[in-house]
Amino acid sequence: MNELSLLYNYLLVGGLLFVIGLIGFLVRRNMIVMFLCAEMMLQGVSVSLIGFGRYHGGLPGSESSDAWGGAWGGQMLVIFIIAVAACEAAIAMALILMLSRRAGKLDAAVWQDLREPGQPPFIDQQVPEERTEDRVWPTLTPAGIRPKPDRDELLHRPRI
Amino acid sequence: MNDRIAYCLVLIPALPLLSAVVVAVLGLKLLKKFSHLPVILALAGSCVCSLVLLSEVSREQSRTLEGQQDGFEQVVTLWTWANIPAAYDLPAAAGPALPSGAYETGPLSFRVEIALRADALTAMMLGMVTFVATLVALFAAGYMEGDRGYWRFFAYIGLFVFSMTMLVSVSNFLLLFVFWEAVGVCSYLLVGFWYEKPVAAAAGKKAFLVNRVGDFAFTLAIFLIWCTYGTLNYHDTLADGSTDPERISQLAGLPQLAEARSDLKIVPGVLSPSRIVANDYVTGGVATAICLLLLLGACGKSAQFPLHVWLPDAMEGPTPVSALIHAATMVTAGVYMIARCTPLFTASPTAQLVVAIVGGFTALLAGLIALTQFDLKRILAYSTISQLGFMFLALGAGTILGITGGMFHLFTHAFFKALLFLGAGSVMHAMGGAIDMRHFGGLRRLMPYTHATFLVGCLALSGVFPLAGFWSKDAVLASVHDKIHAVEHEIEHRHAEHDAHPAAEAEAPQGALAGWTDSQLATSRTVYWLLYYSALVSAFLTALYTFRAYCLTFCGEERIPQQAAHHAHESPGLMIAPLVVLAVCSALVGILCIGQWNNWGTNRFADFLQGAPSLAAGAITATKVAPEFHLQIAGVSTIVALAGIALAMYLFLGERSEARFLQRTFDLSGIDRLTDPRWVGELEQVWWIGGPVRFLRRVHLGPLATAAGYLLGAVSLVLAVPLLAGQFVSPYKLSQNKFYFDELYGAFVVWPLRIFAAILYWFDRWVIDGLVNLTGMIPLAAGSLMRSLQMGLVQFYALAMVLGTLILVAARLIWAAG
Amino acid sequence: MTGALLAAQVPSWQEALACPSFWAIAIGALAVWVLLPNRIAYGKTLGGALAIISAGLFASDWPLLGDWTSQAVFWLLAAITLGAAICTICSRSPVYSAIWFALSLLGTAGLFFYQGAQFLGVATIVVYAGAIVVTFLFVIMLAQPEGHSDYDRISWGWFPKTFSVLAAATFVGLLTLLLGNLKQESANVPAATAQQAAERLHATGGILTEQHMAHLGRHLFSTHLISVELAGTLLLAALVGAVAIAIQGKPRLDTRIEEALR
Repeated sequence: MNELSLLYNYLLVGGLLFVIGLIGFLVRRNMIVMFLCAEMMLQGVSVSLIGFGRYHGGLPGSESSDAWGGAWGGQMLVIFIIAVAACEAAIAMALILMLSRRAGKLDAAVWQDLREPGQPPFIDQQVPEERTEDRVWPTLTPAGIRPKPDRDELLHRPRI
Repeated sequence: MNDRIAYCLVLIPALPLLSAVVVAVLGLKLLKKFSHLPVILALAGSCVCSLVLLSEVSREQSRTLEGQQDGFEQVVTLWTWANIPAAYDLPAAAGPALPSGAYETGPLSFRVEIALRADALTAMMLGMVTFVATLVALFAAGYMEGDRGYWRFFAYIGLFVFSMTMLVSVSNFLLLFVFWEAVGVCSYLLVGFWYEKPVAAAAGKKAFLVNRVGDFAFTLAIFLIWCTYGTLNYHDTLADGSTDPERISQLAGLPQLAEARSDLKIVPGVLSPSRIVANDYVTGGVATAICLLLLLGACGKSAQFPLHVWLPDAMEGPTPVSALIHAATMVTAGVYMIARCTPLFTASPTAQLVVAIVGGFTALLAGLIALTQFDLKRILAYSTISQLGFMFLALGAGTILGITGGMFHLFTHAFFKALLFLGAGSVMHAMGGAIDMRHFGGLRRLMPYTHATFLVGCLALSGVFPLAGFWSKDAVLASVHDKIHAVEHEIEHRHAEHDAHPAAEAEAPQGALAGWTDSQLATSRTVYWLLYYSALVSAFLTALYTFRAYCLTFCGEERIPQQAAHHAHESPGLMIAPLVVLAVCSALVGILCIGQWNNWGTNRFADFLQGAPSLAAGAITATKVAPEFHLQIAGVSTIVALAGIALAMYLFLGERSEARFLQRTFDLSGIDRLTDPRWVGELEQVWWIGGPVRFLRRVHLGPLATAAGYLLGAVSLVLAVPLLAGQFVSPYKLSQNKFYFDELYGAFVVWPLRIFAAILYWFDRWVIDGLVNLTGMIPLAAGSLMRSLQMGLVQFYALAMVLGTLILVAARLIWAAG
Repeated sequence: MTGALLAAQVPSWQEALACPSFWAIAIGALAVWVLLPNRIAYGKTLGGALAIISAGLFASDWPLLGDWTSQAVFWLLAAITLGAAICTICSRSPVYSAIWFALSLLGTAGLFFYQGAQFLGVATIVVYAGAIVVTFLFVIMLAQPEGHSDYDRISWGWFPKTFSVLAAATFVGLLTLLLGNLKQESANVPAATAQQAAERLHATGGILTEQHMAHLGRHLFSTHLISVELAGTLLLAALVGAVAIAIQGKPRLDTRIEEALR
């Protein structure tokens, strides 16, 4: 196993993951998807860090460099990244929930009030019709007893 | 050093200033209608001090004049105002060098000491100013009673008297200018005292602005004096600024000692005795420039010809102010200044000639204008201008007789003009503020005291023997006559010399006119002759307009304007008392100054004044002639005055219709009917024209008559142009409209300036502001370009950030690779 | 190392055209552009095909990892991760996005495992896939009860889409370029050096030992103790903050009652 090749591959995979997250963050309008993409960018960074850590673990002198952990520094960073990501997710979820309650939508375009006075608002061009194949929702395999349908619930809550 | 003189010198301005401060601080809340008390007390104190000063100066003068010939002066230095060391590097000697090495030759420092001086000129002015001011303040206490700004008025009066006394007693050109401006400010404040009246506010502004022109010239003159003489002090100082006269005289007397102590050399003052004795004055162009600039400054303050327009308008101020400031004191500052600067003027015969011309012309002009005015105060204002012109004329004669005569006229004029103004104020007071003489008349029974005192003033102003005006006007005329005599004598002398020694032209002639060329002499002879006759005409006019005013106001049947219908009354005693005092002074002050009964020519006033350093020594003494009473001149002037009075009596006494004689003669009245072509249409009303015309119509020749009518109409239209123009410039209209000076200045000075200001305003508004706005617009435009990026969509911002990062990374890469 | 990396030569355009990675990036960018929610007919099919081509081109240009087994495992994991990531950003339904994201996380976890980072792999699965993704799903359920929405079927206008894809492609291109030296060196690593590196990783304190967790814990709680404490505090603060924000966003009970009564 060639450590340098492994590093190269991991760095590229991390970079691609980061970049895909970046595209998603910039392009998608659903706030939840935007945050998923932000998490994805963090994952890209994490992959790169793990790759670096592994590579440094194989370098000469790494066994004695206990202070910064040689191979372990990368993994430590990733742990903290996960912790920060968890925090970020918690806050972001709360914010999104609040915003969606206010606006009734998860659309980022609703919150364009930051614009300069006099600027025309961003208005969607023609939105494509929803295609039939997209109307499919993920389903779970049915298991156990089928519950009795509650009429009130059916009336008040639309199907997800 | 005379301590009493020093104390008086300080007290005279200090008391009015103190009273002004007291009234200004306490007047509104505490003193209220007693605001006049501190001011009157202070002015009376000043007056007493002035009289003490006068007697002390007289005593000192008579003591010192025995020994030396350079006059008496005493300088009191209070403190140093400014000191800039080595500000002036002395150029080569300006004129004949000062005699000894005791005088500073190195760089001079620019020192301005608050120095007061006492000499004959100052003492005379101080006495006159404080005396008149006290009486006017007394009068004003009655006249201004009940006015809302009572306390303000007296604060201004106190401030004015302080400024005026300082003006005549300072010993430095810069300080002179400071107080010159200070009296201008007081004049502005008092002319615009009733600032609610737009006319009064405008008059104050006009007075101030016209004075600016003169003051500008005065400033230039001061600069020029500094550049020429390296000091602005009148008096000698030691190099450290001190003025110990004993030490100075010691140093001047012992040149070797002074050279040994080089740190204490003498800085010769511009008008100091040592410089005058040595006649260390520049001549030629610089001297003429200095003198003409000084003259222009004096013209502004003393309302002489080019700048006389402000004084009549200044009559919008309260009448006591007119009496004090615009008749007796402030307007004489210019005369005082020129008399003070006699050594400078002596160095420039051209400037003296100009002074005389300005004075003579102004006297004539103002006299002509005064003839047709109906505003009593305006007549007196033009009379003031005219009399000031007499003073300038006398000063312009440039002889010792002329200068003392001019100052003598100033002195007497202060009394009778103040008297006349206060009398006018009394009339105004009784007439409820009306001042137009067409609205009242025949007041001699209603206001007996005012009438009597006014008559005394009128006689004095006209120059009737033996009142004050007679003596002083006689002195003025005599000085001009003597000047002519001297010039003619010199010309004859030269001719005789030329005949005797045709080749020896170079033989130095002696006397004051020695430096003059033949053509100069000839010119000045002509000019002074003209001025002499114009002065006689002016004297005639003086009598005429004075008694015109007197007749219109006090003679004829009694008429009272509506404003004062029921409460027309003689003024209270507080106002009559100053009138009486001034009337007595006007009557006696002239004859008291004239010497013994057996020697009419000696004039105590002139003798006293000759003790002032400016007049006691130097080139001016060459013009000294033996005092002589010119019976012929006195006779002529008396005849002229009496003729004027008689003409006025004839024209304005008795039937009122005769008062329009002048108007009918000169106004070309009735011409307006001729110049209206419609008069042709009215011809048909006349039977011997209408009849034939109707006959022509009946025989169907009507068009002929119509054509004739049109022809006549056209002729009248053609005639109308010159006739209208003639009416416009008829002598009466010219005089009535003050020779259109206001209009001329408006057209040639005010409006061009306004247009220029409008252009500048436009330039400032659109070009300068436009540039500033443009610099503001650039960031604004740039911002508006960038603003379209601020769409409020967070992801667009993030994209911009990503692109920016990309550019940074790429730049880093290219940098590293390159 | 940075210096060596940055010393990489900027290739001429012929070299760039001859490089499979260049084409892989270009085609991948095009694939993503086509796949993103828009109105292109058969976008999914076309984009998917292009993405597969791009992935193949990429793989062909990457250095091999020793034996074929490890190579295959890596490729599989990388393909799952990246493919799921692309699906995440391209799905028109946020629910699918979340599920694809979970799959991508699983791939990432696999990559972590492959690197010997066992703890992190497990942590990723537990924290992300188990907690965060579920949270996302809950939020979607709470916030978007009416089902598919129009703003999911369309991205921002052409400008951000094109530019972000271009920027991403440039980033990857730059990364490839910068790592050019690394790739060249990796082809020339002597077998002895590789062997030594492997030995070091297996030696005491290395990553690939049986005491991996013990070493990790020792490092975490000795060298990084303060950071751990700080991270704990941060989590607590985030928890409190999230609760505060979420409650604040809710209308008050009495207001709701009033609204209901009206």
